[in-house]
Amino acid sequence: MAPHESSFVTDIEPATEHVAGVGIDGLAPYRRVVTFYPHQPESRVMTAQTVQQGDLVTVIGLEVHVQLETDTKIFCGCSTEQTDEPNEHVCPVCLGLPGALPVLNEGAVEAAVKIGKAIDAEIPEETRFHRKNYYYPDLPKNFQITQYDEPICADGELEVAVEGTRRTITIERAHLEEDPGSLQHVGGGIDTADYTLVNYNRAGTPLMEIVTAPDFRSPSEVRAFLAELEEVLEYLGVFDAERDGSLRIDANLSIIPEDEIESGDIDDIGSSALETANRTEVKNISSHKGAQKALAYEETRQKNAIERGRAVEQETRHWDESRGITVSMRSKEEEKDYRYFEEADLPPLRVADWKDEISIPELPSARRERFQAEYGLDEESASKLTSTKQVADFYETVAAEFDPDLAATWVADNLLGELNYRDMEITDLEGRLNEVTRLVELVATDEITAKNARETVLRSMLDDERTPEEIVDAEGLGKTGEDEVQQAVVEAIDENPDAVSDYESGDDGAINFLVGQVMQKTGGSADPGDVNQLLRAELEA
Amino acid sequence: MSANIFITEETIDGVEDGPLADTTVAVKDNISTEGILTTCGSAMLDDYVPPYDATVVSRLKDAGATIVGKTNMDEFGMGTTTETSAFGATENPAAPGHVPGGSSGGSAAAVAAGEADVALGSDTGGSIRCPAAFCGVVGIKPTYGLVSRYGLVAYGNSLEQIGPFATSVEDAAATLDVIAGPDDRDATTREPPADGESDSSYADAATGDVDGLSIGVPTELLEGADEGVVDTFWDAIDDLESQGASYHEVSLPSVEHAVEAYYVIAMSEASSNLARFDGVRYGESGGYDGNWNETFATARKEGFGDEVKRRILLGTYALSAGYHDKYYKKAQDARAWVKQDFDGVLEEADVLASPTMPVPPFERGESLDDPLQMYLADANTVPVNLADLPAISVPAGETDGLPVGLQLVGPAFGERELIRAGSALS
Repeated sequence: MAPHESSFVTDIEPATEHVAGVGIDGLAPYRRVVTFYPHQPESRVMTAQTVQQGDLVTVIGLEVHVQLETDTKIFCGCSTEQTDEPNEHVCPVCLGLPGALPVLNEGAVEAAVKIGKAIDAEIPEETRFHRKNYYYPDLPKNFQITQYDEPICADGELEVAVEGTRRTITIERAHLEEDPGSLQHVGGGIDTADYTLVNYNRAGTPLMEIVTAPDFRSPSEVRAFLAELEEVLEYLGVFDAERDGSLRIDANLSIIPEDEIESGDIDDIGSSALETANRTEVKNISSHKGAQKALAYEETRQKNAIERGRAVEQETRHWDESRGITVSMRSKEEEKDYRYFEEADLPPLRVADWKDEISIPELPSARRERFQAEYGLDEESASKLTSTKQVADFYETVAAEFDPDLAATWVADNLLGELNYRDMEITDLEGRLNEVTRLVELVATDEITAKNARETVLRSMLDDERTPEEIVDAEGLGKTGEDEVQQAVVEAIDENPDAVSDYESGDDGAINFLVGQVMQKTGGSADPGDVNQLLRAELEA
Repeated sequence: MSANIFITEETIDGVEDGPLADTTVAVKDNISTEGILTTCGSAMLDDYVPPYDATVVSRLKDAGATIVGKTNMDEFGMGTTTETSAFGATENPAAPGHVPGGSSGGSAAAVAAGEADVALGSDTGGSIRCPAAFCGVVGIKPTYGLVSRYGLVAYGNSLEQIGPFATSVEDAAATLDVIAGPDDRDATTREPPADGESDSSYADAATGDVDGLSIGVPTELLEGADEGVVDTFWDAIDDLESQGASYHEVSLPSVEHAVEAYYVIAMSEASSNLARFDGVRYGESGGYDGNWNETFATARKEGFGDEVKRRILLGTYALSAGYHDKYYKKAQDARAWVKQDFDGVLEEADVLASPTMPVPPFERGESLDDPLQMYLADANTVPVNLADLPAISVPAGETDGLPVGLQLVGPAFGERELIRAGSALS
C-alpha cells in the first residue's frame, strides 16, 4: 500500500465510531450472525460459531515504511532536509514536470543493500524499478516509482526478544520507492475542504517498504520488532528516528480460532486458516507505542466481536491516535489494480557485487552479546549500552581506558540517566564526549569523589556546558592535598582539647567529632576514612 | 489560409558562436523550452510554460542556434497527420491539400516551407520519418539512447527519441552532432561504442559514398504498399545500385505483429505518462462537482482530445489485471522477437531499405474517421522503434506529384552508415 494512503479517511460518521462498542453492547443472540449477515461466506459464519470451542490466536503482519537518510532524494538532486517553507526543495523531477526524468541516487540503493545484509536477505544480481499507477492528489506523476517483482531484498529475517523469549520474524521483502508529497486540507477533509495545499518537499524522499510475514502473535511482539528494527536501521546509519514521519506502519490483523490451525502449532498457521479469517488492515500508525496500542485495540475489538457471535468485516481501518481507537475507512475504491509495469526510464542496476563491497557495522544484538561476554556486563546494562550505536561506541572508548564496570556505571547509569532526565540524546553531546571521558578519569584517579562527579560536575556539564576542570575549579571540588588534610588534623587536635582527652580516656566516639571538624576545615573534599586514620595516627603518636 | 506550422512563434537566441550559428531551428512543441509555452498540441497544456530547457534545447543554444518557434504536432504525439492537434491542422507545403504527416508535422513543414533551416521532432513510432517522407525532407530517428529525452514530454518513453529534420542529409547530420551524446539527466542515454569512426562527426559521414554498400530489402515492408510508392522506392534503390551499392531481399517475419505490439506498448506507457495531467497543475483546475476523483476525471475529459483519450483508455485496459499478460506482456515478447529479427538480417546487410510510408500523403481529413487505417500506415516505421534502432528517411522522388520517402535502417549506433547512404540520394 502506498504510504500516503494512511491519511485517507473518508466520511467518518458517528456510527463507525461505535464499532468500538460491538463487543461492549454485544447482547445480540448468537444466531444474529446468520440473521445480520445472511450473505456472508459460510467460512465467516463458521469462524463465529467455532469460537467457543477454543482459544483465539492473534495473527499480525506488518508493512513498514521507513524514510532512508540520504542527502538527496531518490531520483533527483534535491535536498531531503526538512524545512518549514513549502515547496522549497523541489525541481522538475520531483515535481513530476512533463519531460523530466528520474535518475537513481545510488546512495539509496546502498542504504537498501545495507538493510538487506542486516536482515540476511537475498539481494538479486540486478534490481529494477516499476511504476505503480494510481491517482492521488499528492502524487506528482499519478504513478509511484517503486519495485514490484524484483525487490532489492527478499526473504530476510530479524530476531527479537519478547518477554524473555526469542522470536524470528520473517521479512518477506523490502523494496525501494519514492515518497509522495503531502497534502494540507484547509477547512475539512479531502472531499469537504475549501481548498487543499500540496507540498512537494517530501516527494521523492527515498522510502524502504519492509513487509513481514504474518509472524506476530501479539501487539507486544510488534512493538519489540519495531524497536529492534529501528535500532538496526540507526546502527546502519540509514535512518533518523527523530525525523517527523520517518516511520509509517500498516498492519494486518486477523483472529484465528486455535482449533482451525491444522498443525496445532500457533507458530505454523497454514495459509488456508489465514485466508479463511477476515483481516483488517490498520493504517496511520507512526510509532512503536502507537502500533502496540492500535493493535491491542483492534485485537480486543475483533475478539469481542467474535465472542459475541459477530463476523469481523474485511476492511481497512484508520488508527486515530488522539482518540485511541481504530475507525473504518470505508474507502470507495474496490480492489485496487495498480497496473504495475517496468519503469523504462531507469535501466536495471547491477547490484551483484554490492553486497560484498558494502560493509555494515556490528548490529545491536551481536553487540549486546559481545558486551556481556567481553566486559562481564549483565543483560540490562548491555542492552542499555547498545541502545544506539553512538552510546555503544562511546562505552567502548571509555571501557578501553578504564575499568569496564566503572565505565558501565558512568555511561549506562550516570550519563544516560542525566541525559534522559533532560530529554537529551548522546548525539547532543557531539564534540564533548571527551569531556565525559575526562570526568570518568577524574573519578578513576581519585581526583574528585564519585558523588561530586555525579551530582555536581556531570549535571553542570549538561546544564551549563562547562568543562569538568572549570567546574572542579569553580566549585573547589578537587580532593584536598595530603598536607592540607594533615594540617587540618593538627589544627583540630589543638583546638579541641576536650575531645582529645575524651578520646584518650577511651571514648572512641570523640574521634567522630574530630573527623567532622577536619571535614569542615577541608570543605568536605577530604576522604573521611583517610581523615579518621590520620587523626588516630596523630593522637597515638 | 496560413500553413499553421507554429503553435508559438518566438525567437530564442543561442550563444554568439558555435557550429549552428546563423542556423534557424524550429522545435516541436513537446520539447520543453524555459519560459516559452510548450503545449504538446493539447488544450490540457495550452498555458503550460516550462521552467526549464530540455537538454537538446540547451545544446542547440550552446551551439549558437536561433530557435524560431514551437511547431504544431498531433496531440502528445498521437497521430500520423498532425490533425489531432488542439491548435488545428497543418498544411503540407510540399503537397497542398494534403497532411504533412505526423506527429512532428509542424517541424517537417517548417523545413519544407523554408521557415527554418532545420527542425527537431520526436519519433515514437515514426513521428519524424513519416512527416519527413510526406513533406519531402530528411528526418533522422536516432538509436534509442543516443539523444537525451530530458525535457521531451513523454508519450511512449521506452520507444521515443528526439531527432532532426533538414532539407539535406548533411544539415540533419550536423544538427544530430549537436544534440547527440550522453546526458546525466537521462539514465537511458549511452556513449556509442567506440569504433574507427566514433571521433568523426555525423556531418562528415555525409559523403554519398555507397560503393560496396550492402542493402537488405525486407519483403514484408513492401507488401500492401501503394504501387506508385513501391515504384519510386525501386527507382531509388536502382539509383544507389548505380553508385556501387548492392541489394538483396531479406525477411523479417516478426514485423507482421509489430503494429499491434507497438500500439499496445505505446498506449500502455501513454496511459501512465499522461496520468499527471489531472487538473491539479495542468488543465482546468477545480470548479467541478464531485469528489477529487470525479474532478480529475472531468479535467481529463475536457483537456484531452479524442485520440489521446482513445489511447489512454486502451493502454489502461492493456495493463489491467487479467489483461496484462494477454496484451502488455505479449507485446513485450513480440518486441523482443522484432529486435532479434532485425539483429539477424543486419548481420547480412549494412543497412535495410523500405518505403518510409506505404502510402503517399493522405488528403486532409481523410484518415481521421478510421484510426485503425491510420495505425496501419505506421507498419514500416514502428518496427524500428521496437528494435531501438536508428533510421533515416530521405526523399526518394514523387508519385503523382506527392513526395515519397525512402527509409534506411541501421544497426544500433550505426547513424554514420545511414547518413552516408542517405546522402547518396540527394
